Amino acid sequence: MKLSYQSRITASAFLMLIIMVLILLALVFPRTERSVKVMDLLFVLDITQSMDVSDVELNGETVSRLTWAKDYTKKTLQKLPCGSHVGLAAFSESRSLVLMNPVEVCASYNDLTQMLSKIHGSIAWALSSEVSKAAFGAIDQAKLMDPSPDVVFITDGHEAPPLHETLYPKYKKKFDGVTGIFVGVGGDELLPIPKHKFDGTADGFWKQGEVLHEDVYASLRSDSAEMRAARPKTEHLSAQKKAHIQRLAKMLDFDAVLSPEESNVVIDALENKVETRDQIVNYNWAPWFASIALLLLVLLYLPFRFIRS
Amino acid sequence: MTFFGLQWALPTVLLLLPLALLPWFTHNQDKTVAWSHFVPADPISNVIGLSLKILASLVVASLIFTLAGPHVPEKKVERVGKGAEVVILVDRSRSMDDPFSTRGKALAVNRTVGKGDSKRRIAKKYLLEFVDKRPDNRFGFVLFSDKALDLLPLTYNKKSVVATINASALGKGLSETNIAKAMIKAAEMYSKEDYHGSRTVLLVSDGGQEFSEEDKQKITELYKVENLRLYWIYMRSTTGLSIEEESEDDSWKNTPEKKLHKFFKELAIPYRVFEIESVKSFSEAIDTIDEQQDQTLIVEEIVPRENKTEPFFWLALITMLALVFAQFYTAWGVRKAHD
Repeated sequence: MKLSYQSRITASAFLMLIIMVLILLALVFPRTERSVKVMDLLFVLDITQSMDVSDVELNGETVSRLTWAKDYTKKTLQKLPCGSHVGLAAFSESRSLVLMNPVEVCASYNDLTQMLSKIHGSIAWALSSEVSKAAFGAIDQAKLMDPSPDVVFITDGHEAPPLHETLYPKYKKKFDGVTGIFVGVGGDELLPIPKHKFDGTADGFWKQGEVLHEDVYASLRSDSAEMRAARPKTEHLSAQKKAHIQRLAKMLDFDAVLSPEESNVVIDALENKVETRDQIVNYNWAPWFASIALLLLVLLYLPFRFIRS
Repeated sequence: MTFFGLQWALPTVLLLLPLALLPWFTHNQDKTVAWSHFVPADPISNVIGLSLKILASLVVASLIFTLAGPHVPEKKVERVGKGAEVVILVDRSRSMDDPFSTRGKALAVNRTVGKGDSKRRIAKKYLLEFVDKRPDNRFGFVLFSDKALDLLPLTYNKKSVVATINASALGKGLSETNIAKAMIKAAEMYSKEDYHGSRTVLLVSDGGQEFSEEDKQKITELYKVENLRLYWIYMRSTTGLSIEEESEDDSWKNTPEKKLHKFFKELAIPYRVFEIESVKSFSEAIDTIDEQQDQTLIVEEIVPRENKTEPFFWLALITMLALVFAQFYTAWGVRKAHD
């Protein structure tokens, strides 16, 4: 395209005028309302002793499952959009103890992470680890809250005492809209479980003779002696019980995410699974106007001639 | 990242800054001149040309600055307020599931998990009211049964405090009680903090306990060093006798509650017990604490993050205005020359 010097000057004058109008718009254009999807969640962290097994990786280091779970929860908190509410609970024995009801994640981020850092195996109030019942309990507690959060249950799926195939606990109550997701943590290899004294000090590892390897009551009733003898005696060791987590998830109509690496995995799964709420936020258009203005300016001053005479 | 004394949300955008040099290399508006020596040297033109380039650079740079998200981050400021710092210790043991009964009523044996007015629920209700009435206070929360956990370190965020108190009333209680551990934990929470003013430990329990000598010594020392005051809200069971009442009856004198009260009185710190036997007396106790707690306190407040894009936009706008004027003037001049 050929343009005379005169028209080029005039054209660039008008372009500059447009740029100026864009900058003016960036200053005065009102913020508009836009909705983002937010959710209410209750994070339940398994703090039973099998979670002290160090077989997961975090930033290149091998750490305990609980350390990983806490870090993963924190990363997820950071990625949740403001307006989401998050509560914290710890699971030991057969129940999920709610530590904090859901609070808005951005305003209370500091308190949430502080509390998260306090969650530790030493606060466990009993030695057993009944994952299924604790998951049921988490749903029950969520139902008591208003609005009811959905549950993110982080566990290695290790049941102690072990369950018998014929006696899996069932959730017989209504869900009342509460759903959720299991996050499986732990490696695939069976490893010894660190043992702690009541005050939390380390005390070696659990030995084979110190734990129950079967549901004694159910086994005595229904299994033959050979069956009982053939059952592996490995309950003093722990790996991520993936099949069990998946079965639990199926029964409760939860999703299961096993050993996720990125926190987006859980958030994406949650977005598909739980009912999100629309939260209205103010959207600022200024960066858009500024970007276009900048682009036009760069084109205007680019040291190549698009428009030659 | 700090730059110009401001924080930048997207510092990588600043990498675009070299674009501000573009006006110095552009040839777009050069006029083809047959022989430049025909053009007389004109110092004013040179100055104008130079200023226009500087202005153009300024606009580009300003726009890049606005896109990089300049802001003053949220910061803490201190002001003098009225109130206290309060660490709340709530007994999470099973006995708190018992119904909250009034004096003289028959001892109700049934625990009231999930319904009615258990002691824990009553305690929750009034603690929430207490927190609500005290806007300047800073609260911490210790959850204890036979273990003590400093669940919520001291915070001004009322929502977190309320959510934690609410959570404390959910579900059934945990095992036994260890008040000494919880009290030590509360004192340790303060020892990590700067001294801001009135420091209070608010113990809510439904029973007493005899402490070991070691614990007694530790508590005596810690509570004095940390300059704490102690309020004990004792949600008493239906024993019939008040904790202050002197009685020759040995079985009462030797109850754990009575012994605990005696120990608390011997601590060289301000101490008060509120015996709660009815919802009404709980409310009154909370009011009494309210009055006593209006002391000077240094309150930290968070000034929210402040966006600083606007000055850059104004700078860009005014500079751009000058450039637009200059360009239209040039266009007008050129047109005149061609006519």
